Amino acid sequence: MALSTDIPSHRVVVTALGVVSPLGSGARETEEALRAGHDRVGPVCTFDTSRTRSKTAGQVSPSATESGLHPASDFMISAARQLAAADPAFVPELAVIGTTSGGMSFGEAFHRTQVERRRSAEAARWLANYLPHKPIADALEANGWPVPSQILANACASGTNAVGHAFRLIRAGKAGRILCGGYDAISELVFVGFDSLQASTPELIRPFDRHRTGLVLGEGAALLALESLESARQRRAPILAEITGYGISTDNHHLTQPHPSGIGPRQAMERALADARRQPGDIHYINAHGTGTIFNDATEGAAISQLFGAGTPVSSTKSMMGHALGAAGAIEAVFSILALRGGFIPPNINYREPDPAWDVDIVANTARAASIRRALSNSFGFGGTNASIILEAFE
Amino acid sequence: MSAGIAGLGWVTPLGVGLEEVWSRVLAGEAPETTVLVNPETGRELPYIPILPAVTDALGRIPRLRRASTISYLAVAAGLAALADAGDGAGLSTAVVLAVSNGGVLYTRRFYEQIIKQGAHAASPLLFPETVYNAPASHLAAQLGIDGASYTLVGDDSVGLAALHFATQLLDTGEAGQVVVVGAEECDWILCEGYRTWRLARTALAEGSAAVVLRRTGRWQVDTHPGHPFTRRRDAGAALSRVLSDFAAADVRRVITSANGTFVDRAESGALERFFPNVPGLALKRSFGEAPGASALQQVVAAALAGEPTLVTSIGTNHQASAALVVPK
Repeated sequence: MALSTDIPSHRVVVTALGVVSPLGSGARETEEALRAGHDRVGPVCTFDTSRTRSKTAGQVSPSATESGLHPASDFMISAARQLAAADPAFVPELAVIGTTSGGMSFGEAFHRTQVERRRSAEAARWLANYLPHKPIADALEANGWPVPSQILANACASGTNAVGHAFRLIRAGKAGRILCGGYDAISELVFVGFDSLQASTPELIRPFDRHRTGLVLGEGAALLALESLESARQRRAPILAEITGYGISTDNHHLTQPHPSGIGPRQAMERALADARRQPGDIHYINAHGTGTIFNDATEGAAISQLFGAGTPVSSTKSMMGHALGAAGAIEAVFSILALRGGFIPPNINYREPDPAWDVDIVANTARAASIRRALSNSFGFGGTNASIILEAFE
Repeated sequence: MSAGIAGLGWVTPLGVGLEEVWSRVLAGEAPETTVLVNPETGRELPYIPILPAVTDALGRIPRLRRASTISYLAVAAGLAALADAGDGAGLSTAVVLAVSNGGVLYTRRFYEQIIKQGAHAASPLLFPETVYNAPASHLAAQLGIDGASYTLVGDDSVGLAALHFATQLLDTGEAGQVVVVGAEECDWILCEGYRTWRLARTALAEGSAAVVLRRTGRWQVDTHPGHPFTRRRDAGAALSRVLSDFAAADVRRVITSANGTFVDRAESGALERFFPNVPGLALKRSFGEAPGASALQQVVAAALAGEPTLVTSIGTNHQASAALVVPK
């Protein structure tokens, strides 16, 4: 999207972040896990999987969460507190957060009481905490931030949409400081949903592998403090990275399957590049959506191959922790920032055999040391939603 | 933020015609209420349906043949608003959908299969339509949009949040026009949930509403990001915070979100403070409580009111918000 000359253009920087995922809690633990290529997918422990094909998921360690609230609230509060601890002077004007399922497991619990014809003293609490805005409200309240929130539910693109929209608002001078990110917690309904579509795998998740058989679900939350450069400099805030471009596209081919040509992902990436005034050759790393499904990886692989060729390293960090749905884009934005700052590219683990359908440099199984200045992160979802953002080392 | 409203559309329990339904609202007509029966307990739960005949014609669209009611309602309202707006040729179009509970019919049916028959029996035909953004996807497909399509979720105030979000898309240059749609469908489990949560003083309803936003239009709308609250006792203060930003406006009428619950007192208290002598209209008396749709139904009504009209919305436990609609 070409910017109108009438719209201001402020540089947008990231001054703090918080992350909770199967790879750990906080930047340090997360970076260690990324560098080591840890496989944090394991047997599902919160509901029965005896009748599903897939049995595994990437789950957040219980020790990483608080107690008493819905897990999604725990994730968000933890991520928010990390962010606030890293930059105590950051006070947002607005929160823009992505999610796909809110407090779904509480809705499931309520439904079971109906089917089983029993009352529960917990019912009202479940209902109050089931809707998607509640974990966000809990996190804002825990940090003393009484600010309005916009909650985006664009399926698996939600987290990247949230970061991208916040970026656009600050760049255009419509806001100075925005808290953005995403969250999702594993639920039985969603797990069985992907299983029913045979989109999830009973084996290892192997993004971009020739013999990939599907995705594995994950969970977690990530938050980023976005601010105009002028405002950040004025208060001498730490600057972790810069966001320079955002692209969004809608693929109307099918509710759950992308157009085989890869036009949707390609448009999102092209628009992000145009928005950042960058060429494909300027990108040093692509954090792929890379779910490990036959369809997604085929279209994304084709689109990356068409746009970038084999010159840009690509990895899917979902190989290590599964697909965190509405949180994925935000978590992967954090991973990209850690990569930019740490001089490494996270690996795409469980990768054995290249798919001959495209020519892409997959960072296979082991993290790669690299001085990367610019990263592109993709998120593509049900309903044909596609989003890409470009993150750069701050200069 | 401000934008122009170029077109209106709605699907309500009183009909779909703009002026026709507005006349019926002013005449104090109440919607026809029926019941949904909780099949597990036999409890009868009042609800206000949209007659299938209203959206039957959309069934011929292949994309919608497996879609849930909420998608029909969203597409119907969105297409009506665009038709009302008239020529938008050359304008890049975005879709912003507001939902509160989403595709509950398919969600309930899918999870019911899991509980009663086991996960292996859950139908893959149902799961895709459970995602919040399914209606937006169907509408975007109808409009041939390959750009921005967003779905916002929240409580009853989500329609005003979506409206504000849409003005942001215009202001940042992301779109030349935005179709903003709010929609809600009903299921017995939703009615049961609201009853358990002590929020069912007004019967839950199905419905939808849409406005087309452009830089200029037949009305100007001033939007607001809203103010949060989580405890019911704080709802009035949250709305007061919002209304303070409209205090200097010329307001001739208020269309409220009063629904027979804590919202009524919170809303009336805040309005008494800032707009003490302005006549109010509680639209949910005519349309019922359709959380994802209500706020945008209020916006459409405000436009039809023909004078500067404030729309206020207090949700269950997320945000209070307001918008001002002024005819040009």
